[in-house]
Amino acid sequence: MKRSLLILAVIAIAAILLGLALDPRSYGVRVLCLILMAAALGQAWNIVGGLANQISLGHAAFFGIGAYTSTVLQVQFELTPWIGMPIGAVLAAVAAGAIALPTMRLKGPYFALATLAFGEICRIGAQAMSGVTGGPQGLSVPFYGDSLAMMQFRQPGAYVPLFAALFFLVSAVFAVMSHGRLGYMLRAVRENEEAAEVTGIDTVRIKLTGAIISAACTALVGGLFAQFTFFIDPDTVFSTTEISIRAALIAIVGGVGLLWGPIVGALFVVLVEEFLNSTLSDALPGISPFLFGVALVVIVIARPEGLVSFRHLVTDRFGKKGKEA
Amino acid sequence: MSEPLLSVSDVTVRFGGLKALNEVAFTVGEGEVIGLIGPNGAGKTTCFSTLVGLNRPKSGSIRFQGQEMVGSKPHRVARAGMTKTFQNTALFPGMTLYDNVLTAALGHEPLAQARETATRCLRDLHMEEAGDLAVEDMTFPQRALGEVARALATSPKLLLLDEVMAALTPAEMDEVIATILRLRDSHGIAFVVVEHHMKAIMKLSERILVLNFGELIASGTPDEISSNPAVIEAYLGAGHDD
Repeated sequence: MKRSLLILAVIAIAAILLGLALDPRSYGVRVLCLILMAAALGQAWNIVGGLANQISLGHAAFFGIGAYTSTVLQVQFELTPWIGMPIGAVLAAVAAGAIALPTMRLKGPYFALATLAFGEICRIGAQAMSGVTGGPQGLSVPFYGDSLAMMQFRQPGAYVPLFAALFFLVSAVFAVMSHGRLGYMLRAVRENEEAAEVTGIDTVRIKLTGAIISAACTALVGGLFAQFTFFIDPDTVFSTTEISIRAALIAIVGGVGLLWGPIVGALFVVLVEEFLNSTLSDALPGISPFLFGVALVVIVIARPEGLVSFRHLVTDRFGKKGKEA
Repeated sequence: MSEPLLSVSDVTVRFGGLKALNEVAFTVGEGEVIGLIGPNGAGKTTCFSTLVGLNRPKSGSIRFQGQEMVGSKPHRVARAGMTKTFQNTALFPGMTLYDNVLTAALGHEPLAQARETATRCLRDLHMEEAGDLAVEDMTFPQRALGEVARALATSPKLLLLDEVMAALTPAEMDEVIATILRLRDSHGIAFVVVEHHMKAIMKLSERILVLNFGELIASGTPDEISSNPAVIEAYLGAGHDD
């Protein structure tokens, strides 16, 4: 575990250094932020989706709660997101607990559909509560000028350390959980719930704990996203496709249940998507999302274990070479 | 202690219209080894599942160490000290044997202690070398014994073994019997053992319970059971195919 944490720290620091090397206003720095955010989002999802194998398609609910909580608190009370984001995480945790109790007995597609519906309910709820959320028109983060205290900056480059820190935090939570008591128990519940109960594991409590931690991490990502974009609306932060499915997709494409899965997944998803968008979007409308979709389908069919599993190809080859030499 | 370790009274379990267990009653004393036999479908596995809380009986009482267990979830029963193994083995796939045993120990103690417990439980069953095996790579007898090791890691007072010797050679069976008796002597664990091999059951058990069509038809020492007309009827009458 120490080694995993060390590697995570190295990745985070490397990302910060890369951010410093790039022009802080450049497209590249923006992509770097998006990759780190995607990795954090996928990793947060990986806690329940991977360790407990509960394929949630409603994580946008927690992302949106996180984004709205810190933004609303800034708009209404000028409260700094340094406090607002943790409050959002707590609210998301409460929401996760509330939704987990009725849904945790559901399996596979039924769980996925129930969580998906929950995400949609949150989106519709945010649209309806226009007094607080600004409704469908959305909400702008008030700009106070470059300020670390208010967690806002004119240049995207300044966000790189924040995204890198959040990426490290969420990944470290996953690593510690995965190697610890909770990780063993979540995996046991995933593999055989009845046997887990009979061996003394409180499966309900374990699943609830996993769901709450996952939701809290997701809310933090949502909060920082709002600071980064300065504007949120229900269709963006509670989006089923752009947040919920994307979170699952990043983890699944990279390698579900594995620490390195969402990291590899985020690199792939964001880079391919941005590359296709920037090179092909003028050629033929709709061609870049189409090709992106095709690429994902090919990966999921060819590599159901995720891109991380290519690592074995590399190590196997090195192993063979080593023996020959 | 006045009350036995486990006392089961008038437990009835229904699956739809079928009475899987009908007013079953028996007791298990501390450190006792009891055999539970009966033809296929007699309700042996149902009996175990009900005892550990996986099935809820329609009526009756299951008192373990003086506490009523009916209505308790299986993890509570396990923490109280009663757990079972699974007949067709239900080790957690995608984990090593060691991690399986460790996970069970984590149910009641912190990681550092659980690691010691896991190592000790594997050693108790002479399975140290199999610890690193993935469940998928284990033979059936290894899995069955692995189940015992995992159950042992919950620090039980009463362990319900469901056909853990099913695929063993006679020599391996003798070894498991010796292990069970040793665990009884060293840890004071009581056992209820379901097994189809009569020789093993006779050798192991102080007392034998016989289930037939969900009813307890006999109970007694191995000698009493082997000469009991009702038992012979149940086995021979149903076609002696064991």
